[in-house]
Amino acid sequence: MVVLADAVNTAIIGKGLMIGLGFIGPTIGMGIVGGNFLSAVGRNPEASKFIGQAFVFIGLIEVYGLLAFAATFFVK
Amino acid sequence: MISLFAIGEAGPIVHVAPHTLFTIGGWPITNSVFYGWICTIFICSVLIWVARRVKIKPVGGIVQFFEYGVEFVSNLVESAFDDKRKGRKYVPFFVVLFFFILLNNWLGLLPIVGEGFQAHGTPLFRPFTGDLNGTLAMGIITMGLVYSASIKESGGFLKYIRHFFVGSPLNPMYLLIGFIEMLTDLTRVLSLSLRLFLNVTIGDIVIAVFAYLGHIAAPITALPFTLLEFGVGALQAYIFVVLSVMYLAMAVNAHKEDHDLTEELVQETIGAKKVEATV
Repeated sequence: MVVLADAVNTAIIGKGLMIGLGFIGPTIGMGIVGGNFLSAVGRNPEASKFIGQAFVFIGLIEVYGLLAFAATFFVK
Repeated sequence: MISLFAIGEAGPIVHVAPHTLFTIGGWPITNSVFYGWICTIFICSVLIWVARRVKIKPVGGIVQFFEYGVEFVSNLVESAFDDKRKGRKYVPFFVVLFFFILLNNWLGLLPIVGEGFQAHGTPLFRPFTGDLNGTLAMGIITMGLVYSASIKESGGFLKYIRHFFVGSPLNPMYLLIGFIEMLTDLTRVLSLSLRLFLNVTIGDIVIAVFAYLGHIAAPITALPFTLLEFGVGALQAYIFVVLSVMYLAMAVNAHKEDHDLTEELVQETIGAKKVEATV
């Protein structure tokens, strides 16, 4: 393992994993929010007034992806 | 922030923390606070100018934009409360908060802000909302208002504490849930401020990265992301206001007495209908 750590810059692998894994969750969550919003609107067109609430949930979700992205700047 | 001059050899220049420009009496003044002062003066003067121009007969142009924003936020605040008169008191604070965050986000996208415009090797301007200290101050002030208003509306500190507990606090399960509720309440300051800070800062970083990738054609590659950041800035102002209104309304509405239809009331209405039908 010492040889591997010397040969490969593990910080870059770590950054890549952080960005990749950190973006998977929030994007799945945003897909669920958007899909459920669209299915609700399709079932009941009057529900389209709740798009503000849908955006609030997207705002709640996206902060976790941004946290993962911001954490990459502290990996040296 | 179109970082026209952010072309370096090693990659885009990225600073998560603000730089100290000068000190006043030992207090370091960072570039974000400096730009925040400029933006505050600008925002105050614009809002005062708009307030003098508002008339009953609608005026077009930029005044209409502000009128629409004020109406939007006041509808938002009033619709969140069960009692609309209670909500009206808090409208001015949230309107100011909305426009402060919105205009700070948008003024932070100007080309002069960021790495391109330097004085003695440090960038002179930085968006005020792109600094964790600034957003933390906003979050602390907002949640301070929320706590003080909800304590006042519920009529005492103990009654305010009581609303965290669903049932009797003597029940150990309800006690545990109540304490967890209190802890999540305290994290709201951090989540509000971190959300705004990360969105603005990472928007800047994304713009800087794409300006670096574009090299000579930096304005063309950075323009779509700058336009995206305009939308994100507006969305973040909306989310900040909506969440703080929600926290306030949750605490204020919780103390209303329940007016659920009890069985007696239901029977009365049914009886009244029967009487009407027979008469």
